[in-house]
Amino acid sequence: MREEQIERYQKGTHRLGRIVSVITLILLVGAPFAIGGVLGAYPDLSAVAKGFLSVGLVWTVSSVVEFLVYTPMLGAGGGYLAFITGNLINMKIPCAVNARDIAGTETGTPENEIISTLSIATSSLVTILVLALGVLLLVPLQPVLQSETLQPAFANVVPALFGAMAYKYYRKNLKLALAPLLLMSVLFILVPSLTGSTSFMIIPAGGLTILLAWLAWKKGRKAAA
Amino acid sequence: MNMLSQLNSAPVYLICGGIVAFVALVCVIFMVRAWRAGRAIGMDPAKMKRVITFSATFTVLPAVGILLGVIALSGALGTPWPWLRLSVIGALHYETQVAQAAAEQVGMKTLSAAEMTPQGFATIALLMSLCILWGMVLSVFFNKSYLKKLGGKKKEPGKGPGFGDTAMTAMFIGLVSAYLGSYLGGFASGNGMFAFAGDWKPLLVAAVSALVMAGFTWLSEKKNMAWLEGFSVAGSMLIGMLAAVIA
Repeated sequence: MREEQIERYQKGTHRLGRIVSVITLILLVGAPFAIGGVLGAYPDLSAVAKGFLSVGLVWTVSSVVEFLVYTPMLGAGGGYLAFITGNLINMKIPCAVNARDIAGTETGTPENEIISTLSIATSSLVTILVLALGVLLLVPLQPVLQSETLQPAFANVVPALFGAMAYKYYRKNLKLALAPLLLMSVLFILVPSLTGSTSFMIIPAGGLTILLAWLAWKKGRKAAA
Repeated sequence: MNMLSQLNSAPVYLICGGIVAFVALVCVIFMVRAWRAGRAIGMDPAKMKRVITFSATFTVLPAVGILLGVIALSGALGTPWPWLRLSVIGALHYETQVAQAAAEQVGMKTLSAAEMTPQGFATIALLMSLCILWGMVLSVFFNKSYLKKLGGKKKEPGKGPGFGDTAMTAMFIGLVSAYLGSYLGGFASGNGMFAFAGDWKPLLVAAVSALVMAGFTWLSEKKNMAWLEGFSVAGSMLIGMLAAVIA
């Protein structure tokens, strides 16, 4: 009975996820043409092609990596939603990972799939709501949000997020965290220009940490056998 | 009507707002389905409510940060388009970079309303859309088969916990390490190699935020204040960000 319900839910999630993703794709690619119609001029497709070759390819590679890395973390429902709503690294991934910890679910289980979907859907709705309210109140809010005093706070949202996350994850995995932290610090100190490509540096950092975790896990299993 | 007024006109708001509303509806549908499925397989509703509360409080501050991205881009692209981009699919670090690169492709020196033309805008908007939609395209074609492949290897009974959870935690530790390393590198060599004269605020903010998180964890684990857990990340971030204002 339970297995049947889970299978039905997952089948429905994939069907719905694919349908809404395709509709969103059409809407997002169609919007510049629709707005172009309002403005009286359509996109210059040769400039789009040239631009895509110069900046788009890098982001395409990044998208493939994001898909391969984050889909297993998010599951089906969370995955479809996260790729539709965006802001993965700075919001959806930390949100879903923490939600998993709060609920105590295990990656790859139906429970985790449900927790991840609830988390990403809530996070996306709150973002949509905050941005909609912000846009609605743009004129009165602008002086507050752009005040000189508050600028350092808003410029440091991501460091604040990763500081809190670092404590949460390092305290239980200090030995594991040491090597990637050291390696990344040395790399960024010796090649400061890399700070502009931090999102790409996640790949070697994550790869190294997974390798070290795998070696430790393998050793633990051998010892337990 | 000047260019910025055209970009902020009612029809443009209607097009962008319509897409945002569609995505909001999609989120509600996924949420209701997940809630019902959770109840059907016997998940604790209190646990699911805690996840929803946590996710909502966690999101508010980063969302305000994203709103600043909307404001920053609205000077050149009008308000509706950045609003759409950052509500749906976009990412804060991506939008400005691609918008700037796209502006160069249409012959603009800088991304600004003064140089913007209707065709320039439509071209920039299309390029911004095309560059970042591949995650969604891959999801349409491969989400199901990829997850099936990963889930296909069933855990052998009595063999202890699988590697899946450890791998996810390790990936996240790698992600956090990359960012912390970049803050340290920015401070140590951002203004000349080993000059230690670069931007130190991200380091300070991360340290304060981590300390406050330690305090929240202590209260929630040692003082039986488990309810604090749902607010700990948002609270730590807020105090960390305040440190940047005071410093």
